[in-house]
Amino acid sequence: MVWTSLFGIITLILLARALGFAKAPQLADAAEARRVAADALHDFTATEAALARDRRAALVAGSDGRIALVRGFGDRWVVRIVNGAQALASGDRLRISPRETMFPAADLDLGPAAATWAQRL
Amino acid sequence: MSFPDPVQMAVPVFIIAIILEMFAIRAGARGDYDWRDTGTSLAMGFGNTFAAVIFGATIIAIGGWLAQFRLLDIPATWWSLVLCFIAEDFTYYWFHRSAHRVRWFWASHVVHHSSQHYNLSTALRQTWTGFFSLSFAFRLPLFVIGFPVEMILFCAGLNLVYQFFIHTEAVRRLPFGLEWLLNTPSHHRAHHGTNARYLDRNYGGVFIVWDRLFGTFEAERDDEPVRYGIVQNLATFNPAWVAFHEWISIGRDVAAADGWKARAMAVFGPPGWRVGTTADSIRAHWKASRPASAPAE
Repeated sequence: MVWTSLFGIITLILLARALGFAKAPQLADAAEARRVAADALHDFTATEAALARDRRAALVAGSDGRIALVRGFGDRWVVRIVNGAQALASGDRLRISPRETMFPAADLDLGPAAATWAQRL
Repeated sequence: MSFPDPVQMAVPVFIIAIILEMFAIRAGARGDYDWRDTGTSLAMGFGNTFAAVIFGATIIAIGGWLAQFRLLDIPATWWSLVLCFIAEDFTYYWFHRSAHRVRWFWASHVVHHSSQHYNLSTALRQTWTGFFSLSFAFRLPLFVIGFPVEMILFCAGLNLVYQFFIHTEAVRRLPFGLEWLLNTPSHHRAHHGTNARYLDRNYGGVFIVWDRLFGTFEAERDDEPVRYGIVQNLATFNPAWVAFHEWISIGRDVAAADGWKARAMAVFGPPGWRVGTTADSIRAHWKASRPASAPAE
């Protein structure tokens, strides 16, 4: 029974992948990044956003000074407030490591704005 | 009258139904899958079957022990089966409502809501720790009333099997007035929503009339698509973290709490109490921030 169940599970996972259920999300523009952040955080009024060059992550500033990280997770988005998180700017890139267990670090190519956003965190 | 295990019998049907839903979506039906998300959901379901084996005997033993104090000798007949099914669903409503309103119960139930997808595989995303959160306690009155133990377990299994099939976006609304009576894909989609409108609504298992009766019903609206998941969505597919993250969070909050009241609220208060993101506070903020011209609820 255990092996039958495992066989069934692996078959379903492989079938899902074979059928193309394996997308990586991309943000269309800054407006979508603001909307994703505001939807996820309920009490967050998004004012401006900076998209990573690959559009797979963004930083969104709120009217209250908070900064939200929007990053891809599977084919969906996860959002966290990252004020106070470890932020390392290097050239055009900004690496953010939220203080949350099992939340992976995000590496954003923000262009020349990377250092400015790092300071805001 | 003998009572088989409906869940065991339905497992092959579950697998076939998931395959059919995947192909239907690829053919244009509403819905979506992600192979990693589905993998986690199925791993949680797989682990849940082990938990059921390990702890199921204890739960049956407790029920059997309580049955000796039963108030009535209810025979195993068709009419008692119907009554038991309705009564079991009633206890499910209260279990489910508590599972969303009390963090100790939520720590187990959050697993089921932790996917940002809503498809048939989401139905199998089940907890490994239901025994520790005492979810079975809500069903114990049925043993005291006097329904046969096997009949109660059979009805609980039927309830679970029914609920598997409502985890789909492919079905919009059921015909013939069934939306009024039953928990349907539409009602349960709203239940899985993180939109302020939908949070902590539609707790019914098979019958939605409990929600209509106790003021917790919210209809799905076509002009407000459901955003599935939890208030703070997880950022990992790791099944162990999915299973235990809220328990760990409770432990951390208790350790950091200042005083016994805060400790008690960290365990028995509503989910989100410590950080101010309870369903009630989110809904209140949403209502306050809506324009006066917004459509009535």
